[in-house]
Amino acid sequence: MENFIRKIRFSTAIILSKLALYGLRLIGRGGTSLPGKIALKIYPEMLSALSGKFRIIMITGTNGKTTTSRIAAGMLDRTGMKYISNKSGANLASGLTTTLISAISLTGKPMVRTALLETDEAAFARTAPKLKPEIVIVTNFFRDQLDRYGELYTTLDKVREGIQGTPESTLILNADDSLCASLGQNVPNPVVYFGFAQNAYPEDNTEISSDAPFCIYCSARYDYSDKTFGHLGHFSCPSCGYKRPEAQIECTEVLGYDSLTSTIEIKIPNGKLSAKLALPGLYNIYNALAGTALGHQFGLSEEDLVYVLEGFECGFGRMESVKVMNREIKMILVKNPTGFNQVLRYLLTQTNHCCVALALNDKLADGTDISWIWDADLEILAFMQEKIRSFLVSGIRAEDMALRLKYAGIPEKRIKIEHDENKLIDEAIQSVKENETIYLLPTYTAMLDIRKIMKERYRLKDFWK
Amino acid sequence: MYELTICHLYPDLMNLYGDRGNIIALSRRCHWRDIDVKVVKVSINDEFQYEDYDIIFLGGGQDYEQSIIKDDLAKGKAQRIIEAVEAGKVFLGICGGFQLLGKYYKTHTGSEIECIGALDIWTHGGETRLIGNLVFSCDFLKGDENQKLVVGFENHSGKTYLGEGVKPLGKVVKGFGNNGEDGFEGAIYKNTYCSYSHGSLLPKNPALTDHLITLALLNKYPDFTGLSPLDDNFEKLAHDSMVKKLLS
Ligand SMILES: [Zn+2]
Repeated sequence: MENFIRKIRFSTAIILSKLALYGLRLIGRGGTSLPGKIALKIYPEMLSALSGKFRIIMITGTNGKTTTSRIAAGMLDRTGMKYISNKSGANLASGLTTTLISAISLTGKPMVRTALLETDEAAFARTAPKLKPEIVIVTNFFRDQLDRYGELYTTLDKVREGIQGTPESTLILNADDSLCASLGQNVPNPVVYFGFAQNAYPEDNTEISSDAPFCIYCSARYDYSDKTFGHLGHFSCPSCGYKRPEAQIECTEVLGYDSLTSTIEIKIPNGKLSAKLALPGLYNIYNALAGTALGHQFGLSEEDLVYVLEGFECGFGRMESVKVMNREIKMILVKNPTGFNQVLRYLLTQTNHCCVALALNDKLADGTDISWIWDADLEILAFMQEKIRSFLVSGIRAEDMALRLKYAGIPEKRIKIEHDENKLIDEAIQSVKENETIYLLPTYTAMLDIRKIMKERYRLKDFWK
Repeated sequence: MYELTICHLYPDLMNLYGDRGNIIALSRRCHWRDIDVKVVKVSINDEFQYEDYDIIFLGGGQDYEQSIIKDDLAKGKAQRIIEAVEAGKVFLGICGGFQLLGKYYKTHTGSEIECIGALDIWTHGGETRLIGNLVFSCDFLKGDENQKLVVGFENHSGKTYLGEGVKPLGKVVKGFGNNGEDGFEGAIYKNTYCSYSHGSLLPKNPALTDHLITLALLNKYPDFTGLSPLDDNFEKLAHDSMVKKLLS
């Protein structure tokens, strides 16, 4: 009888949440968390019930989850496997549930066999033991928005707790991150590490401040023989001996890079490949390595790995870049909170000083309602403000953007409103030193205006396409 | 030292169009004056004891999300929201939150959805959406005529009407307001304030924000004498540029 009731509850949960999913699509909203919430409400053990139906890959960590998920998706595509994946905004328990339920029939049969789930770090602790993933990828641990989970170590502990509940999962971990790598110490799980070989990273960042300077086991200060960025690198503890583990998937050389791409050589077990990544920022190489580890795990050949790595494009659309007076100007379109947040997270990983110039228009092509700027996490800019030489705002709604920055926690005196885009560019160039970068973040029509000015001023022909 | 606790009701479900900007504005303007602020998120299945909070905020949601929170409201929260409003708690309802505090919502196909019933207001679904920048004038705000003007952005299909004992928040100067017919915008009942204006209502309208903070402090600290002034240069620029754009 009890069993029967449970079955009924399970079926009811599936049917109702599928109805909700259908309803949401009908009214033009992609269902993300609600259908899952409904299912979990009716049948709290839903995730455990669904776990056996899929081969599950979970991706977590503080930075690069979305990019890594997208590269991983490319890898799965290349294997020919059919799979389901969640949207990056739906990475809590309810969103994961929605994703899995959308891939099973009303009778509970899976329509695809594989699920790729980007998972929030806090939600990972609760969901991983239930989902029993075949593979877990952890990208890294950097300080995130401080108000979200508080301490970095709390976040790490959450992920560790999740891993303890799933001892059979293969772990794909960042070897260069002392926090992330510690997840692979003294656990029964098979572990694959990825990272940069000694001196393979082209920039010397040994002086850069670190989120985790002290040994996680004994609190002694780590020695570094090489650093990539933040606290990532070849660390070793002089006191207890904890050190960067050997990496099976390793970037052995950066053959070349510019602001849009990097060409790298990767060592894999019994092989080696080189690929040109269409991703900005050297930090994205880590995401590519994590994706390569997954592809290798699923048996992709070197040619296939290269195919996926080279075919992948940057998550927030093309970044345009130009050098002016020995300063780099990078322009990235912003148009909604999700995209804006990705750009802000990208800025967070930049190690050099820079200038941030925002241009907000409210013409039809931009959207006449600019309230979305309050949904984007501009607090990130306040968090990294010591790296930003000046904050400039422009566009028809410059005052609104200035106000948003002020309420994000940036002092009013550091923000300058400049409606004239020509002067905006002058100010931006003057505010940074040589070899530093200006990030121009315009909405659509503001981007068109700025592009036109840049073309005229610097006789740019085809560069700004 | 003064302390305020803000309750954000259903932040995961009722958070459209930058609603959280209102919470940010209330918190920052308190922080800048060394008033301690705690924000508590209360959603489905969470306890809601209104006595624990000094300001309660309910934002807008899509129809579907509003229908989901209905069940949760029926399990006791609706009753406690009514009590909170009657007890004179400072309550801010925006857009969908505004409609939900009323008696009912009648869709344009004729079916009637029961709402919380904390305010004597009701809403009829319209066939066209009332969208655009909005300016309305609030007599109760301190300052000159310009400071009495409140700016925002509205986007709603429901037309809301006010019953006995509920006053409008303001008179529409430009835009549609509650229903596009009677020239009123929003509602005030005791210390409950409602508006169709999102685009984050509070950051650009510091006089209104400070009015709500003052009411909350007076509720909690009867001997409270008044807020210290802040440098509102950017607030004023954002406010005035929109007023100028719409009224000139
Ligand atoms: Zn140690």
